[in-house]
Amino acid sequence: MKKEGFLYEFKKNKALFAMAAPAFILVLVMSYFPMSGLVLAFKEYQYNLGVFGSPWNGLQNFGYLFNSGTGWLITRNTILYNLLNLITSQLLAVVIAIFITEIRAKYFKKVTQTVILLPYFIFWVVVGVFVFSIFNYETGLINTMISSLGGEKINFYMMPMAWPIIICAFNAWKWTGYNSVIYIAAVTGVDGEINEAAEIDGATIFQRIRYITLPSIRPTLVTMVLLQIGRILRGDFEMFYQIVGNNGQLFNATDVIDTYVFRSLITNPDIGMTAAATFYQSVLCFAIIMIVNTVVKKIDEDYALF
Amino acid sequence: MKKKLVAALLAATMTLGLLAGCGSSGDTSSSGDAASSGSSSEAGASGEVDTSKEVELVMYVISDRPAGQDIVDENINAILKEKLNCTLKINWIGWAEYAQKYPLLFSSGEEFDMAYCAGWLGFTSLAQRGAFMALDEMLPTYAPDNYAMQSESALQQATVNDKLYAVPTLLPTYTSYGSIYRGDIAAEAGITDTIDTFEEVEQFADYVVANHPEMEAIDQYSAGPELSLVWTRMNGLMDVDSNIRYLFCDPSEEHPTVKALYDLDGAVEFYQMCKNWSDKGYWSKSALADTDSQKTQNGKAAMRFHNIDSWSGLTVLHPEWDFQFGTMTSDVAHLPYTQDCMVISNTSKNPERALAFWNLVTTDQEVYDAFYYGVLGTSYELNDEGQFTVLDTDLYATSAMWAARTLDLNRNQAGVPESYDTIRAGWEETIKEGVGSEKFTGFVMDTSSISTEVAACTNARQQYGWPLELGYTEDVEASIEEYRTAMQAAGIDTVIEECQKQLDAYLAGLE
Repeated sequence: MKKEGFLYEFKKNKALFAMAAPAFILVLVMSYFPMSGLVLAFKEYQYNLGVFGSPWNGLQNFGYLFNSGTGWLITRNTILYNLLNLITSQLLAVVIAIFITEIRAKYFKKVTQTVILLPYFIFWVVVGVFVFSIFNYETGLINTMISSLGGEKINFYMMPMAWPIIICAFNAWKWTGYNSVIYIAAVTGVDGEINEAAEIDGATIFQRIRYITLPSIRPTLVTMVLLQIGRILRGDFEMFYQIVGNNGQLFNATDVIDTYVFRSLITNPDIGMTAAATFYQSVLCFAIIMIVNTVVKKIDEDYALF
Repeated sequence: MKKKLVAALLAATMTLGLLAGCGSSGDTSSSGDAASSGSSSEAGASGEVDTSKEVELVMYVISDRPAGQDIVDENINAILKEKLNCTLKINWIGWAEYAQKYPLLFSSGEEFDMAYCAGWLGFTSLAQRGAFMALDEMLPTYAPDNYAMQSESALQQATVNDKLYAVPTLLPTYTSYGSIYRGDIAAEAGITDTIDTFEEVEQFADYVVANHPEMEAIDQYSAGPELSLVWTRMNGLMDVDSNIRYLFCDPSEEHPTVKALYDLDGAVEFYQMCKNWSDKGYWSKSALADTDSQKTQNGKAAMRFHNIDSWSGLTVLHPEWDFQFGTMTSDVAHLPYTQDCMVISNTSKNPERALAFWNLVTTDQEVYDAFYYGVLGTSYELNDEGQFTVLDTDLYATSAMWAARTLDLNRNQAGVPESYDTIRAGWEETIKEGVGSEKFTGFVMDTSSISTEVAACTNARQQYGWPLELGYTEDVEASIEEYRTAMQAAGIDTVIEECQKQLDAYLAGLE
């Protein structure tokens, strides 16, 4: 391929460039310009001096994350929770997408799809209230049932190990319907003739799913996973905060970077220290997405994001 | 090729675009300095403000905007137009968003004049970071009557790095904590004495647990327990800083030593008592997950620990429950006057007029009533004793600029029991300038050099201290040990050292 200059390219595809321009400008203004604010992570912020006038203070802003030894714990928690949530919610979304497209009864199909999607529209604040009314010791749903059956009540708020499961379940409950919409589109896009042909040749429904549907949606699946991995160091603050709340006993098992930062700085907000946390997350995210993308590229170049 | 490029850009956007949160344009101009130096030279000998030009003063307060604000604005603006040739525009920052929005007010460079500020809004740290205009010369010049009423310790508290950054409130508030409990239930239980010791609390709570299963004996919810504060106040101890409520010292000593809560004498017994109370079912086992902050008010809890103003609020709402207040503080002192204060933004264009307005509102009953209570007959009415009643709480209650209250102009709400005034008068009698806790009212802790450690300790306290204080533990001593280890890892020793140093310096400065 002959290399041409940018100008040549520009002249040749003026219309395409014009079409890309709004998105390009938006990204530049909303995402690249604000990145200059990252210097705040290394500054002692003064309101009257502004972002660039404030004095530098080296790595001091990062201290609160790591000095007490919690930095590693919350980083680990964040990554593990996101991995767990990624696997469960994507897997369930694929399964549901296949089930829904296989359903023939039109109304049943629509109703099912709507019901599965509904949790997406419920705010975490409300979910937090659900969780409290299900798991609390005195009047919670589960404990009321246990005690009416004559059993010993369980104090969930003293059992850190139960919470990864609870959090993961609620995350899947909320996101599966929404994620499945994308997979439904992918599954519906599979050429119907292939399926018909397979059916005539005597393939069972499981064989069709295994050999036709799943391979067809693989590119979608890989892209979705890659996009999620780009956010692997960002805890869904609202979810963790609303479900776990202020229950200190659970923190070792449930604390993610975002909740830790929130709690540490709520009484004494400091823009520099918050910026430091964001900086830490962003740099790690960047490293992880680069590594994962390179690996994907090695395996199959077509699936890589870039 | 091009597709790849677009994809790459897209991915880059998604990964890096998430950084957007930390960007903020930060060229707050140096107009603050210019304005303050300019005005101080202009200040005439008479102290009169030049009101020839009409200006609009902008004020920020923290609360949700009431529906009837427009009517109130119209009324006060008519008065202000006549007296000072200015109008007032009040902007509201809602409770749901103040933590994020309030600090941004000062970093965005927005031009406004006045804002409500307080210790819990980070007054000291904002002042250190140059958010406010210095008022050393302007306050005596443009608000002379207000200035004349300020006590020395109040002005001292509002001074950060040798500059006066706020106009403190003129309504004294007290460090006193106590029990707020249902008088009707106490009478039922045959408790006639005011409940102000832990034994009496226990007696009352036992009765509630046994006879009123529909309510919690002691109100505890997710904002964290208050018991350790009550316990230390009963023992005459004082918290070093309201944002570091895990460090205490004994103000009656000549050279008080700063100690962590768990290292105080009797701490083990105290935590043991918390566990006993928790085991007896005085409060929910899931209190930290419970976000309902109004259980006492709604009849779902029989007692809570808080200050006298919370109590007076409850007595007005539920006279039928006969709420009582038992002081559980042995050494009452004034709260820092910066607990409620008014600050002038460093972006203000009319600090002189803002201060003149402030002078007026804190000395003139008519202006104060119009500003604080709204329109007579529409938003409030007065009874013969001059107490006010809010006519329609959905329309307008009272102003959220709590710093405007003064002892002379402020009115009690109709229905507040007489004991509200007598209890407070009793405290005022026991307070002696320069003795005990009162000696430390002017102490302002500067945490800027230890902010890292304070952040980590705040977190460790919430993680290990709160559950312990609510008795959520099997083995009290082991949990205390765990708490201590976590606090030490978080850097509590550095915090203690710094607090001690500043406290010693403060005492040395008094002599």
